[in-house]
Amino acid sequence: MRYAIEAEGLVKRFDETVALAGVDLAAAEGTVLGLLGRNGAGKTTAVRILATLARPDAGTARVGGHDVVRSPDKVRKLIGLTGQYASVDENLTGAQNLFMIGRLLGMSRPDAWARAAALLARFGLSGAAERGAKGYSGGMRRRLDLAASLVGDPRIIYLDEPTTGLDPHARVELWDVVRALADDGVTVLLTTQYMDEADQLADAIAVLDRGTVVASGTPDSLKAEVGGQRLEVRPARPEHREAVAGILAGLAGREPERRRDVLWVPVSDLSLPPEVFRRLDEAGIPVAELSVRHPSLDEVFLALTKTSGAPEDPAGQQEPAATMERTPA
Amino acid sequence: MMPLAQQGFTLAWRSLVPLKNSPGQLIGYVLQPVLMVAVFVYLFGGAAAGGDRHTAVLYALPGVLAQSALMATIATGVNLNTDLHNGVFDRFRSLPIARAAPLLGRVLADLCLLGVSVGMALLVGLVVGFRIGTGPVQVVVAVGLILAIAVALSWGSALLGLVSKTPAAMQVTATAVIMPLTLGSSAFLPIGSVPGWLQAWMRVNPASHLADAVRGLLVGHPYDSHLGVDILVTLGWVAVMLAVFVPLAVRAYRRRI
Repeated sequence: MRYAIEAEGLVKRFDETVALAGVDLAAAEGTVLGLLGRNGAGKTTAVRILATLARPDAGTARVGGHDVVRSPDKVRKLIGLTGQYASVDENLTGAQNLFMIGRLLGMSRPDAWARAAALLARFGLSGAAERGAKGYSGGMRRRLDLAASLVGDPRIIYLDEPTTGLDPHARVELWDVVRALADDGVTVLLTTQYMDEADQLADAIAVLDRGTVVASGTPDSLKAEVGGQRLEVRPARPEHREAVAGILAGLAGREPERRRDVLWVPVSDLSLPPEVFRRLDEAGIPVAELSVRHPSLDEVFLALTKTSGAPEDPAGQQEPAATMERTPA
Repeated sequence: MMPLAQQGFTLAWRSLVPLKNSPGQLIGYVLQPVLMVAVFVYLFGGAAAGGDRHTAVLYALPGVLAQSALMATIATGVNLNTDLHNGVFDRFRSLPIARAAPLLGRVLADLCLLGVSVGMALLVGLVVGFRIGTGPVQVVVAVGLILAIAVALSWGSALLGLVSKTPAAMQVTATAVIMPLTLGSSAFLPIGSVPGWLQAWMRVNPASHLADAVRGLLVGHPYDSHLGVDILVTLGWVAVMLAVFVPLAVRAYRRRI
């Protein structure tokens, strides 16, 4: 298999902060690699290194077979970048933005205008072509940004949190665009905070946490890795929580996980639930809820990244690493 | 067209085309020279020239032209610093274009705006009584000299803009450099009319040579007594500034990555 993106042992530090602590990534040609992680996990830093915008402190990365440090110009000819924050020029119209990129890539004026018109039509922006990008909605801006990254017809595209801050409708529209790109054989590196987004779009997922890849594989293998069914018990009275924990620990052979007032253990054997039910009944512990269910995708994600403590508010703040990059001390 | 030239012109176009949509942004470039003519001809000029307004106009206007050009170069660093905080620069850096292209585009765009400033100053000057006492060749050389020093200084401004943290910090530093250069020169006051210590500074100040050269080229007698020296010294400064500032600015730009 040929890899469009290969990274080995990428390390990036910013003063005291370690943004990447040895990251390996590989995306086969024509596939979508989902890079999943919270704010500050190092996603943007990884993308910036692969897009030749930042140099790794250690490790190597090849894009389309070219080393990102030694041959950045060759890499730049292959890639398209859509940043976390739509990097369109607000003072230009939609058409002017795309025309500018075309001219920078060496197109003639007529070709650049034609390319701009074609891309605007493809992304449903023809009606807004002559309007200033300043007045675009968030979804329109992302689409214009994505169009700008496609002007040069790149074979490898980086999408850094393309749907963060978009409403659900705009999000689904963007997913369709990514799928269409993948169908055309373009290799896509997609970063996201949303497990369902990675699940929807990615052929392979790497989960990034505190600068390291904590898990990787197909979406299905990741779900399996974190465990199948689980038994959840919610005692009716909080004072019974420790007693319930004791019963679960004794039967499952491990300490139960806790999520607010719910305790749960993985179900490896289907004789476990009736046994738990019987023991609770014997102990006279009233139960508000007892269920066997599959973990949600978000729970898989949280389980894989739980070393970082409580999840942050996913309100789309910028990763600290990226902030420091732009305003070095 | 050479790729670097096409990229530079495209990026200059990118900076200038918004002005076509909202020409209001041009008002600073137009008003500043008008204000300068008013201050240095009417407020101070009369006193400096012993109350003779015509002499004051002839003496001060070339100084205003030089000063307008030097002041306008501050915009390069401010605009560049603003751009650095803007996501669109990330895209430029991820494109297969020349490293110097975004800097070149900025300098070219600001050169156009500076042309507006200088042209405006000359226009206002002609309205209030300035008369060109020489020929078209001298005028072309004078304009060329102003643009040359402006380009050279723009690269210094770009360098400052690249190492400054914010556009405001850049503006303050640049103003602190430009003010003593323009005001502490022979642009508005003859060297003989100031105290000795200031004379020493005015003699070495490149802005003095620029102002004297422009004055000699536009007015002629009696200001063209050491015209050749002034032109050569000015060109020397242009060469030195370009040799120093261009590589440093390109290097600073790479380091911002």
